[in-house]
Amino acid sequence: MTAAAPMIELEGIHKHFGSVHVLRGVDLTVARGEVLCIIGPSGSGKSTLLRCVNHLETPERGRIRIDGQVAYRDESAGGFRAHHGRAIAAVRAQVGMVFQLFNLFPHMTALQNVVEAPISVLRLDKRVARERASALLQQVGLADRVDYYPEELSGGQQQRVAIARALAMEPKAMLFDEVTSALDPELVGEVLGVMRDLAARGMTMIVVTHEMNFARQVGHRVVFMDAGMIAEQGTPEQIFTAPAQPRTRAFLRDLKDH
Amino acid sequence: MELFNVEVAVANLGPLLAGLLLTVELTVVVILISLVFALFVALARMSSFAPLRIAAGTYVEVTRATPLILQLIYIYYVLPEIGIRLDAFTASVIALSLNYSAYMSEVYRSGIQAIAKGQHDAAFALGMTKPLAMRRIILPQAIRIVIPSLGNYFISLFKDTALCSVVSMQEVLFTAQVIAARNFQYFTLYTMVGIFYFAVGFPAARFVAYLERLTSRGYSRRKRI
Repeated sequence: MTAAAPMIELEGIHKHFGSVHVLRGVDLTVARGEVLCIIGPSGSGKSTLLRCVNHLETPERGRIRIDGQVAYRDESAGGFRAHHGRAIAAVRAQVGMVFQLFNLFPHMTALQNVVEAPISVLRLDKRVARERASALLQQVGLADRVDYYPEELSGGQQQRVAIARALAMEPKAMLFDEVTSALDPELVGEVLGVMRDLAARGMTMIVVTHEMNFARQVGHRVVFMDAGMIAEQGTPEQIFTAPAQPRTRAFLRDLKDH
Repeated sequence: MELFNVEVAVANLGPLLAGLLLTVELTVVVILISLVFALFVALARMSSFAPLRIAAGTYVEVTRATPLILQLIYIYYVLPEIGIRLDAFTASVIALSLNYSAYMSEVYRSGIQAIAKGQHDAAFALGMTKPLAMRRIILPQAIRIVIPSLGNYFISLFKDTALCSVVSMQEVLFTAQVIAARNFQYFTLYTMVGIFYFAVGFPAARFVAYLERLTSRGYSRRKRI
């Protein structure tokens, strides 16, 4: 919790799905205010790694610290009451997450989606929560859509509501899981624009993405994952113009071919 | 002699309507109990606590694999042998509630399981605990999905209350049987009973069909439900 401590630290994270070893000992540190982009082929473990940060997946081995506090540690280090629902919920409440398929609550309006967790989890005063939610929806350019239900909104608008919903918890960091992959091409820009703003405001972000331009322009650091491990990392400049690993080169070349 | 005797019909309208009222009362009480009880059974069947899950599963399977009429007879005639004596109405309420809750819990369960995993992910990512996510995010969506199916069970329940005549519950069919045993006006009395059931059951079925259309519409500003 010292100012110097990194915002997110992952150490030796291992995860299996059945017999498949999806994460093979990943170490990763994200500084305060850093925008870290994770790229790599599908099945390389990018999304699983992201989901481990807020316990949507539980690693089998390793250690996770968020803002200096233990968020996960395996049994060899004393465990982290992995079955204690409240402890895990408390970790999750500190980290915002945005999903590929938006996952807005369809039975709630945009505003209700945004105020739900601040009221039911943080026990925030309803009036305060609504004011904050309105401001956030305005920030993502949806001031005129507060009373719309998700299915009345375009994909890009839904994803911006989802970002506002995560921000309403005043998270210490934000996780983005391929958030533009399900969008029509003409709607990608509006979502990336909101993320760009957020980065400029100093939000700590881990962004799993296929948007290489975003990674190049907004990312402070790019991590290339392959086969459950970090194959290479560096500045966007290094990764995109002079990748050291043959696997990275092959991946980036394949992208250009499409 | 004409088949339908208007005089007999008019003379027995009062008792038969009283029987119908009891039928409706019984139906409503059982609906209210099983709406709540079935939900708890469904949650118990999905619990991570094994004894609860097994107990709920056993109850559902035993109930579904035995006839309702036997369950009624058992509760009314067999329980007194171990000292539990119940009046006809209470026995009927218990038997019907237990029976229908078993089926309805499966409806609830399918509705809850129909909610996409992404909804759980989103709720958990916002720091919600499992019970909170269930209450605020999953159940409101699941209940909307299951409303038409539950409605159909309630219509079926309304008709199945006739089985309670075997435990001398004085609902509409039992009342007709008693009167018919005196005056042998089978056609008149049972036709009336049929008309009574239809007069309640048909509008109820139409109402459920309406709910089905309403709930399939999706969520929007104008077409709220």
